[in-house]
Amino acid sequence: MPTLQDRLDEFKRNFESGGPPYNAPREKIELLHRATAELKASGAEERALKVGDHAPSFTLFNQDHVEVSSAELLQQGPLVLSFFRGHS
Amino acid sequence: MELEALQEIDPEVKRQGARIVVLTPEIERYTRAMHKKLNLTFDVLTDLHLKVAEQFGLVFTLPDYLRELYKSFGSTLDRFNDEAEYRLPMPARYVIDQEGIIRAADVKADYTIRPEPCESISALKRIAGEKV
Repeated sequence: MPTLQDRLDEFKRNFESGGPPYNAPREKIELLHRATAELKASGAEERALKVGDHAPSFTLFNQDHVEVSSAELLQQGPLVLSFFRGHS
Repeated sequence: MELEALQEIDPEVKRQGARIVVLTPEIERYTRAMHKKLNLTFDVLTDLHLKVAEQFGLVFTLPDYLRELYKSFGSTLDRFNDEAEYRLPMPARYVIDQEGIIRAADVKADYTIRPEPCESISALKRIAGEKV
């Protein structure tokens, strides 16, 4: 089973070589690189919460429109919390 | 891809007495479709307008030149996320213990790099180990 990073690297190789379905032209790929470099340079990673910080609690709707509260979940056990940007 | 990878470790996470929760700025209509398509066994929560991501310090605004680029690839944040300002969360994964303290944190400005799910399992095992 390839690791997650292997799979991402494969996607990236295809994308950056201009392969389908995106057929990305060189100049667009360079813009994406520039944006990532700028975000890194802005120090954004360092401003995010870190190990040892208290995690903010939240109550949000899940995929079935049921309210889910982090406080209730934590009563049952630890959480693996993943922030996913979605389709974009 | 990340959701599929999390799905693979979900049984082991549950064995550790923990739970996976995914937060996305996408509106519920899309999370429901994605949840179904990928047969996920954990919750995907809609963090509308990135309110929670903001509290974790993860939100950034796409530069103008990228908005046009994303549109050219057919990706429109205003449609999927109801997000006219084109803000996004940095990809991040946290492991939070029952006291609400962050025990593992991976935040990536480079969205093509993600922490391996097995690293989250190791963090859970460390937490479980303390209880014994």
